[in-house]
Amino acid sequence: MLKINNVSVTFGKGEDRVEAVSGVSLSVAPGEFCVLLGHSGAGKSTLLKLINGQLAPDTGSVEVGGTLLSKRTRPAIQHTIGMVHQRFDLVTRLSVLDNVVLGRLPWVPWHRALLRRWDRSDRVEACRWLERVGLEPSQAKRQAGKLSGGQQQRVAIARAFVRDPKLVLADEPVASLDPVTGRAVLELLREASRERGAAVLCSLHQPDFAREFGDRIVSMTGGKIEYDGPPEAWSPNHQGVAVKPKPRAAEPVGVEHE
Amino acid sequence: MSNPDPQLEREGWPVTPPSRRWPLLVVLVALVLLGFSFHRMGLMDPIGDTAEGLGVKLFGIEGSSQVVDGAVQFFERGWPPEIARVRDVNRIEGFDPENLPLFSHIEMREETSVELAVVDGKVVQTEVTEATQVLVEPVGYLYRVGWLMLETFEIAVWGTVFSLLLAVPLGALASNRLTPIKPLVTLARSICSLIRAIPELISAMFFVLMFGFGPVAGILALGCHSAGFLGKFFADDLDNSDPGPANAISASGVGRLGTFRHAMLPLVAPQYMAYLQYILERNVRTATVLGIVGAGGIGMELLGKWTNFQYGHATTVLIAIFLTVVALEALTQYSRRKLISD
Repeated sequence: MLKINNVSVTFGKGEDRVEAVSGVSLSVAPGEFCVLLGHSGAGKSTLLKLINGQLAPDTGSVEVGGTLLSKRTRPAIQHTIGMVHQRFDLVTRLSVLDNVVLGRLPWVPWHRALLRRWDRSDRVEACRWLERVGLEPSQAKRQAGKLSGGQQQRVAIARAFVRDPKLVLADEPVASLDPVTGRAVLELLREASRERGAAVLCSLHQPDFAREFGDRIVSMTGGKIEYDGPPEAWSPNHQGVAVKPKPRAAEPVGVEHE
Repeated sequence: MSNPDPQLEREGWPVTPPSRRWPLLVVLVALVLLGFSFHRMGLMDPIGDTAEGLGVKLFGIEGSSQVVDGAVQFFERGWPPEIARVRDVNRIEGFDPENLPLFSHIEMREETSVELAVVDGKVVQTEVTEATQVLVEPVGYLYRVGWLMLETFEIAVWGTVFSLLLAVPLGALASNRLTPIKPLVTLARSICSLIRAIPELISAMFFVLMFGFGPVAGILALGCHSAGFLGKFFADDLDNSDPGPANAISASGVGRLGTFRHAMLPLVAPQYMAYLQYILERNVRTATVLGIVGAGGIGMELLGKWTNFQYGHATTVLIAIFLTVVALEALTQYSRRKLISD
């Protein structure tokens, strides 16, 4: 489904030069739930951006569903990908239903899109997904921004799946949620992708969630893959430490100096 | 603690607050400058005049005061507001005594005026009493003021429509997130600043030269000026709106226009409506004075009556302006609250 071959990307120049992703190769099979595990700044988000074409790699190639990603094929590839974001990124002022239908926007004729008069079939599909992710019919007309965080992420999942994607990219989908809500959202993501046979590449920073939900764990540090395999074989000492606290001379607290 | 952590300080952390003396200096310089300016502006005189005037009026001190005289002149002659319209029959074009306007009647009025004549090399003053036939419309002036106020409102509405038409493309071009070409952004922003910088009264003077007296000049002047405001507001709001949704929509393979329509416009639209209301309100207020330079509306009437010392009529105009502005403000307050709570 997804084939990444030796991609690298660097940001900045001179001393600020950071190699965010360096020489990463990875392939994800159809229907696989693959977890990208790593600290903040490990290059997970950058890798996801490379896959859906928001960022062009300096070297290497990305192939989605057998098509090589290039400037020309980018829109077509993006149409087969559903994305779930850390901050939900719903259009808060629009209704929940409108937000879900926006997932089908590339297939909506422009005159319908202009006035947001969605076709009945689009509305039906959106409502089905809203029901599937566990929202009430009365919530469909509410403003998306007025829902709770967990519910907003459910709507975002509906938006990602309503386009019937072959690949779903989830960028820290539970980082803004509490653990209980986060677990429910990940369960939903896994079930939905299983039903649809969609591959999922989901970045996380919680090892517990990664072990619980991943068919496979890919762990990253400093832009490189350091572990790629089944969750059972993964152990926490694979994870590097991103920021080391600076050792400092111990000093008594609350003692008056002379 | 008397001694803060010296270790932190040695490591270079900004623990000690920096000492700053320049705010005091700035205040001192500002005070000196204001002091000079106070004299230049002659601000001392009105204080003296007012005090003198109060002395004359309240405590019976001998003398006169321009401040008090001016105020008394308006208050004595400006009340009650004039609502009737009295016109010399001879000056009404196509006047038909058989067919008077509704509720009006004809009166004879005697007017005394002083005539100067030169007789045998001497200036002779003679009082002449002339009887003229006048048409009296009891609420005619009120009607006229209402009509002019409506015209003023129309000027404001058209000015707002015109500014919206200008501001939408300007705002889109001036937004960094919508326009990828930087020089275009700079150009659009400069145009916004420029047309905002020219006061309406001044641009109205130019438009009166170009298009003649009347509402067109006023509409153009209002439109240009408020387009500068709206364009800037539109652009700033677009740039400051949450980039998340737009990013999410564009990442799903939707083009620039679609992203703008569905992920940016809904977020800023309520704010745009609030701006538009504010601009309309402001335009009504400005349109009331635009007539002073001949750009239509009620301002011309006010100026005319004021210079003729017809303060009763002026009072009616002022009350009409006041009521309109207050009513409009109440209306926009109400709808803004609705918009925001939505």
